[in-house]
Amino acid sequence: MSAVLAPKRIFDFASLLRSPALHPLNDAAAWDSMLSAVNPMWSTRGIPARVVEIVDETADTKTFVLKPKGNWPGYRAGQHVVVEVEINGRRVHRSFSLSSNPASGDLLRVTVKLHPQALVGGYLHSQLQVGDVLNLSAPAGGFSAPMADEPVLMLSAGSGITPLMSILRELRARKHASPIVFVHSCRTRDDFIFARELEALAAEWSVLDLRVHFSAERGRLDATAIRALVPGFAGFRTLVCGPEAFTACVEDLYREAGVPERVRSESYSGRVLPRSLAADALHTVICTNTEQTFTARGDRGLLVEAERAGMKPKHGCRIGICKTCQCLKKSGTVENLRTGEISSEANELIQLCVSVARSPIELAL
Amino acid sequence: MSKKAVLSPEQLTDLASELDTLRATVAADIGERDAVHIRTQVRNARVSGATGRGLLMFGFDPITWVLGVIALAHAKILENMEIGHNVLHGQYDWMNDETLNSQNYEWDIVCHSSHWRRTHNFEHHSNTNILGVDDDYGYGLLRLTGAQKWTWRTLLQPIWYALLAIYFQWGVAIQDLKLGRWAKGRMKKGELAERAAPFLRKARGQLFKDYVLFPLIAFWNIPRVLLGNAAANLIRSLWTNAIIFCGHFTEQAHVFTKAESTDETRGQWYLRQIQGSSNLEGGRWFYLMTGHLSHQIEHHLFPDIPAPRYPEIAPQVRAICAKYGIHYNAAGFWKQYGSVLWRILKYAFPVERRVRVRQAEGVLA
Repeated sequence: MSAVLAPKRIFDFASLLRSPALHPLNDAAAWDSMLSAVNPMWSTRGIPARVVEIVDETADTKTFVLKPKGNWPGYRAGQHVVVEVEINGRRVHRSFSLSSNPASGDLLRVTVKLHPQALVGGYLHSQLQVGDVLNLSAPAGGFSAPMADEPVLMLSAGSGITPLMSILRELRARKHASPIVFVHSCRTRDDFIFARELEALAAEWSVLDLRVHFSAERGRLDATAIRALVPGFAGFRTLVCGPEAFTACVEDLYREAGVPERVRSESYSGRVLPRSLAADALHTVICTNTEQTFTARGDRGLLVEAERAGMKPKHGCRIGICKTCQCLKKSGTVENLRTGEISSEANELIQLCVSVARSPIELAL
Repeated sequence: MSKKAVLSPEQLTDLASELDTLRATVAADIGERDAVHIRTQVRNARVSGATGRGLLMFGFDPITWVLGVIALAHAKILENMEIGHNVLHGQYDWMNDETLNSQNYEWDIVCHSSHWRRTHNFEHHSNTNILGVDDDYGYGLLRLTGAQKWTWRTLLQPIWYALLAIYFQWGVAIQDLKLGRWAKGRMKKGELAERAAPFLRKARGQLFKDYVLFPLIAFWNIPRVLLGNAAANLIRSLWTNAIIFCGHFTEQAHVFTKAESTDETRGQWYLRQIQGSSNLEGGRWFYLMTGHLSHQIEHHLFPDIPAPRYPEIAPQVRAICAKYGIHYNAAGFWKQYGSVLWRILKYAFPVERRVRVRQAEGVLA
């Protein structure tokens, strides 16, 4: 026998402890459901957080004050969390910016503006009560306050104000001394989220220069309006948050001024992808696991199109019965030709063999 | 035996569209109620399993032994039939609950879920009752129709059947290894070893749990626990086998040839699913214990609809069948199982051998 052969591991204790052969003793799901039945805050899944207060900010915006369980890892101002709620038996996830300041205690604030047809936002607004428990993910996102004490320009539109509020609160706690210009755009005075708090802060903190732009009176806050409001914009470290069209317009402005590196942006609404029901429409499919891209016609199943592109996704019956080819669709719209169901939510499971693309899509394939 | 229904192409199109509409109506209603149902069953199976194991471990008298066996068998049947089988079909994938997802779930049986998804979800459900293609038809062991080959060994099939019923979970577990192909020299030993690896790993774990770990934990009661676990496994085997055999091998369940089922339309596919399946009539608790395979016809039409919906749509499916003159095969358990046992006995003898010859000559039954 060769001495090079590593001794074969006969007994792997760690993997035995996780083995389903020990169920129910080590059945994590069973213990979790038992614990959370007694107290939802004892759940071992994700980070449970109890709603301790609900604040009405404007007619269509509420702030949910949350107390997370001890396994909450902490966060930086400007980051967002994924909130999980169960709506009609289905777990749905949505990402929201935190508007609180990490230095001001262990309560989190999530401010949510109600958009028509928003599933999770609608649920939070109409169903969630003080005392309920939500499930959170660990915070994520690289949108954060500048490290240096330098002039800062904050540009926000609508509910894009939430992460900027968090950053502003942190700058205040840090005793930032260079000028801060905060430009906020919303439709009318009644839609101004955090109005009272911001105005009070601006009155007592000379560093902060608050400029509010009501689009119902003065039109959309675009490049021209920004130039007029803050002529020296290019000299500021700039943070921008709002709908994608708004952040893109600000980025263009800084690119034209030759200082694209001075602006950091965060947009909250996912890109609205152009949809087409036409059978011969071509859509790009991005496969995030294999980093491959292919084009799918609106009348050919995604499985067939992936195979034509040289990929070999696992599959079985090819008629939508066995679910062997089931795959997570991260974004985009597909139609199931067998059932006629349209899937446009993010992170839904689809069957590749009977689904056709109705927009550019992203698959975990 | 009832004759196979003959439908015109127009009727088949109408049949498909009526069944599609029925499916869409149910699919649109899936939600909270289904989520509550499956979670309740998971909890019941856990409680019942823990109770059974507790009674076997800590009891000393025959009565608690019998009760312990019943509770453990109940847990195993519920977990395999109502939870495992249905979850693995993807009936609850829409919930986005990783513990109830078809691709993650691993059930409490020696058959590995990945093997089951292939042999059952794909091969059996798309090729239901097609001789030579659907391996579930007789499991390569039993002759259940004149169209199957008779040899002298077939005479012993009542004995093979009794052994299969007793060791049913093992029969199911090795189905995907395709031992027949290996025996005929059509599969290399290396491929067989690779195919067998997940099964061997799983089998080792299952045997360890029921016949080593739990008896050892109750070291003062080793024989009691050992025998109790064996009895519970035996009850589950006999029960699941009886229910599953009633699904496709009753007197009125038809078989199909490859020629008949090539290039099927959707209507033809639906028709084959109905005519190849048979239902069991009973009460709610009976339906639950069969994992709703009491409604094999509805299950084969819509394998990914949550199973408790099957009894609800059964009257509509029955009405559609009546409209097109398709025999809807439903009867009580003893009548159906009796006809299965009769078929096993009858076809052990060289009866109806001409059917096979006629089919080989291209004359369809």
